[in-house]
Amino acid sequence: MEPDPKRRKGMEYDSWDVVPVLSDEQSQDLKLLDAYAAPIMEKRETSRLVKELATSFPLPDLQHIKRVRACKDKNTSHPLEVIVCLASDVPDQECKGRTGPTLSDLLCSQTFDPRGLGEPFLVQIPASAPLTRPQFERASKHWPTSFHEDKQITSALKGQLFSSSEKAKMQEHMMEAIEAARSGHTLGMDAVGAVVVDPQTGQRLAVAHDCRRGTHPLHHAVMVCVDLVAASQGGGAYQYEKYPACRYYVPDPQVTTSHMDVSALESHSTSDKAKENGQSYICTGYDLYVTREPCVMCAMALVHSRINRVFYGAATADGALGSRYKIHCQKDLNHHFEVYKGVMPQACEELLDSK
Amino acid sequence: MRSQSGEEPAGFLQPSDSEVQGWMDRAFHMAKDALENGEVPVGCLMVFKAEIVGKGRNEVNETKNATRHAEMVALDQVLEWCHLRERDVKEVFKHTVLYVTVEPCIMCAAALRLLNIPLVVYGCKNDRFGGCGSVLDISSDDLPHTGTYFKCISGHRAEEAVEMLKMFYKQENPNAPKPKVRKDSISPAGGSIVPMIQAASDDKDGAKTALSD
Repeated sequence: MEPDPKRRKGMEYDSWDVVPVLSDEQSQDLKLLDAYAAPIMEKRETSRLVKELATSFPLPDLQHIKRVRACKDKNTSHPLEVIVCLASDVPDQECKGRTGPTLSDLLCSQTFDPRGLGEPFLVQIPASAPLTRPQFERASKHWPTSFHEDKQITSALKGQLFSSSEKAKMQEHMMEAIEAARSGHTLGMDAVGAVVVDPQTGQRLAVAHDCRRGTHPLHHAVMVCVDLVAASQGGGAYQYEKYPACRYYVPDPQVTTSHMDVSALESHSTSDKAKENGQSYICTGYDLYVTREPCVMCAMALVHSRINRVFYGAATADGALGSRYKIHCQKDLNHHFEVYKGVMPQACEELLDSK
Repeated sequence: MRSQSGEEPAGFLQPSDSEVQGWMDRAFHMAKDALENGEVPVGCLMVFKAEIVGKGRNEVNETKNATRHAEMVALDQVLEWCHLRERDVKEVFKHTVLYVTVEPCIMCAAALRLLNIPLVVYGCKNDRFGGCGSVLDISSDDLPHTGTYFKCISGHRAEEAVEMLKMFYKQENPNAPKPKVRKDSISPAGGSIVPMIQAASDDKDGAKTALSD
């Protein structure tokens, strides 16, 4: 007998964090641009100065930048500072032989009344709008920006998106994938397992292990799962009778949405359109649990199949949902989905090592 | 016969113009068959030493499996061909050329790599899903754990391939869920291939974590 999985050391669901796999735009450090700012010495000139600066030096690609900031240091002679222009707006020769351009250098070609404006100084401002709270916090250290917060991403980054009961459910599904991987391994297959779940009902629809060392070199666990879901809908291209652990379940219509699974409420309503009409359409609205990060083929198969979310345990070198590519948020593709990693990582990484 | 992969020059495989014409003509027949059966019109042929060892056309709607692209169907036939003749699968794939009417998608390109197919001859580009340079370049990216890279020869009867796709997308896909009222997007048939001419539609929402069309 296997020991109760939840009791095994290091496998309690509070011992791992579900980590969202965000796009490069969301996860990288924001690029910075050099700009000249100047103190506003007379506060009552502020609105006129901002208006005139916006005309003389519009910043059309920097809508997120707040033109004026309050001075952090309360003891300074001026309460506010304003962006005059980008450093790239200043012709090179202006600054030659000096420490930096003066206000009149910056404004020389403009009909501009500099009344109330002090001498400029160099600052760095974020080149693009922050997309996540960590980016916003880093950006704010340089210059204030606007930020349209995606609360779900913020919460996911803090590891607070899923409650402990939701994580317990995730663990159950991942355990099933791990069990499938072990079953496959005893038959000489690579120890990889996958499970497709309907988050609306909590029902499991397909369970599979990797079969590439068996009948078909492309029967990775995810590909088998996708085909088993097709089989559960009356389609499917293959038989898996040699592999009893690879199986599908026909969804029970008696199970209603009142029995909610992992944050079903937060899953995207558009993807549930098909089921509102009482029909299933490929993997629309379904979640996939897989012990290791899918390869390019499998990741794209999930795009084609309109998967709702993917949860995986261990990363892989050529992996296509975070490591080598981020196919789930690849621009130009017609379907995108959320990906989370780090679900039972220890158990999943152990599978990678099984020979 | 040399057996090393990777740097293998495609010279011995380099098909003549008349070979390309002949094989592509058959691939187009497969695509037409798909169109007549309500599938995305993509057809292909796998040729090993001047012999057809596999052919396929899109079977996504028929199987309710969005991965049943022409290439995947044809690859299955090559496996079957090898099995029946007790031929070494790896050895056969290493010397097999794929002729396909549309650039293989990212999934198929990865599958072709995993099986070490050395050369792909295709008709039109696939700006929505293409894995040989259009969206990603799976065919030649450095992927040490994903088989070997392959070469591509493109453009043969490209306009005709696009025309067939256009013709398909003018029809409705009866299997797709009813789309939201939006005129700028066309619901593809089970994650299949959309012609390049429609690729310009939208990706303003691309930065969002998730969206469905």
